[in-house]
Amino acid sequence: MRVLLVEDEMLLRAQIDRFLRDADFVVDRASDGEEGLYYGNEYDYDVAVIDIGLPKLGGLDVIARLRAAGRDFPILILTARGDWQDKVTGLETGADDYLTKPFHMEELLARLNALIRRTRGHASPVISAGALVLDTGQKSVRVGGAAVELTAFEYRVLEYLAMNGPRVVSKTELTEHLYEQDFDRNSNVIEVFVGRLRRKLDPDGASQPIRTVRGQGYRFAPEG
Amino acid sequence: MPKIPRSALSLQTRLMVTVAVVLGTFLALTAWVLERTFAATVLSGAEQQMRQVVYGLLGAAQDQGGTLRFSDELGDPRLSMPDSGLYAHVEAADGDAVWRSPSLLVTGIDAPPGRRPRPGSDSFEEVAGTASPAGLFRYAYTVVWEAAEDAELTFWVWADQAPFRADIARFRRDLGLGLVGATLLLVVAQMAGLRWGLRPVRRMTGRIGALQAGERGDIGLDYPRELSGLAGTLNRFVERERDNRERYRRAMGDLAHSLKTPITVLSNASVTLAPEEQRLFAEQLERMENTVAHQLSRATALRPVVPRETVEVGPLVERLRSTLDKAYADKGVTVATSGTAHVRGDERDLLEMLGNLLENAYKYCRSGVRVAVRDGASACVVVEDDGPGVPVEARGRVLERGARADSAHAGQGIGLAVVVELAAAYEGRLEISDSDLGGARVTLEIPRA
Repeated sequence: MRVLLVEDEMLLRAQIDRFLRDADFVVDRASDGEEGLYYGNEYDYDVAVIDIGLPKLGGLDVIARLRAAGRDFPILILTARGDWQDKVTGLETGADDYLTKPFHMEELLARLNALIRRTRGHASPVISAGALVLDTGQKSVRVGGAAVELTAFEYRVLEYLAMNGPRVVSKTELTEHLYEQDFDRNSNVIEVFVGRLRRKLDPDGASQPIRTVRGQGYRFAPEG
Repeated sequence: MPKIPRSALSLQTRLMVTVAVVLGTFLALTAWVLERTFAATVLSGAEQQMRQVVYGLLGAAQDQGGTLRFSDELGDPRLSMPDSGLYAHVEAADGDAVWRSPSLLVTGIDAPPGRRPRPGSDSFEEVAGTASPAGLFRYAYTVVWEAAEDAELTFWVWADQAPFRADIARFRRDLGLGLVGATLLLVVAQMAGLRWGLRPVRRMTGRIGALQAGERGDIGLDYPRELSGLAGTLNRFVERERDNRERYRRAMGDLAHSLKTPITVLSNASVTLAPEEQRLFAEQLERMENTVAHQLSRATALRPVVPRETVEVGPLVERLRSTLDKAYADKGVTVATSGTAHVRGDERDLLEMLGNLLENAYKYCRSGVRVAVRDGASACVVVEDDGPGVPVEARGRVLERGARADSAHAGQGIGLAVVVELAAAYEGRLEISDSDLGGARVTLEIPRA
């Protein structure tokens, strides 16, 4: 999952960045409103964290301009004042949730995961399809009740496909949402990971949870 | 806001009372002087008239061998007519009647005898007499009649007072009518003048009312010279109060930002410490956080002296509801809202109070929240939920104003403390009871003005 983090306080930005990376997020950091707006317009994100009190361009302006430009990824605002005027205006401007400083990183993570789930139309953190049960809260995968051991990257690929299913996800989109910007996009590493995932989830090729759509990408559809 | 005592008399009443007293005294004195002068003029006119009668008699008298005779032309025709109201009689020094006017032939005068004036002099007085119920004037004049061996003759003349009294009465009535008319005219003119003169004051009062009701931004400057200074000062004061409030709020916001961000950083950094230290950090940081939040909310909990607006509560509840619906989307809270009310104040303050109450309800409910707003002498907002409720023994402590922030429960404590402070600033009331939904029922009442 790719997250845009716009926060002007250097230490807090670094902390959130480290925490989200540890939670298998790909993080783009911006230290002021203009930079945040640039990233938001340029890349597709799964979620954004935007502080309201930003230099150069205020957080509310960033959100308003992103929404005006048709960017519809979920946005969580951080507010220091905890003022209801800020929260209400923020959500009316287009944000989806708020968090008042000071906050705990676990709280932020839970809110972000919930936002991503909600946007993808999943009410519960558990996505089950056929024999496959994916718990996005626990980050665990079970097939027919038995736990499946996945590497962090394999899990990220599966989670992204599952969250976005039954939509077809292109290889480029997968790379953009799962890798840092400087990743070599022509690499066939995605195909390698998808191949390994298939072997772990469906060793005998019976349910085929990840289908290849020729010329378009992959689709998470275990039953169909 | 303190109530203005209404016992003081209005400016208009004061001026009207002053004018009434001055005008009344002046007119009464004028009436008295005029009436006295007129009466004196009438009396002296009567005396003059009777003296003329005597002169006429003297002119008509003829001496016929020691006895006095009067020609038929008596000067005044009334003397020849019985009961005409003018009577005369001439008397010798020994008291014998020398002549009586024909008007005396039917009725007598029957008046007490008067003193004869000395020769060459006269007297004038008012006497009672049967000839007239209104009383009589008596004029006497004594002459020495040379032709009759220097005999002293006294001419007595009586005149009915009635026509003179009638003159005076008519004058008095006319004077009274005239003065009453003039008084009424003056009072009306004075009232009109006062209304016109006090109109700028009334305009200012009306605009101050509109200002306090949040319908106007200032009271304008179109006043006469005597008031324009006051109006300018008031406008500047209002402007300054708003500016200060805004600046104060912004300063507090900046302070909050610069304190809370470091607290966030520290509390997140502390997770790498040993468990014992970590707990210490968490405790102390939470204390700091609560104190900062609480003191900041207290510092800004002031109802504006001149509110910029009248705030409608219903739409605010709806805005908060859609905000909280988004933020608590996972919980699937069912919310019922109803009613609206108007409060003079700052929208931020109301958002702050309602936001905290509603968020508590969303946070602690199982699945249902009910918000009812009613308008009356006070705006009343009732927020109910189906959560665990607030234990009776905890209610007093939660509602205590200025309760120590660091002893409050995180979350609920701070939110409600903010509401308590603000409600107190708005002279409102906060009450916690049980809801029939099963959870807490929080009632917030704010006086409209």
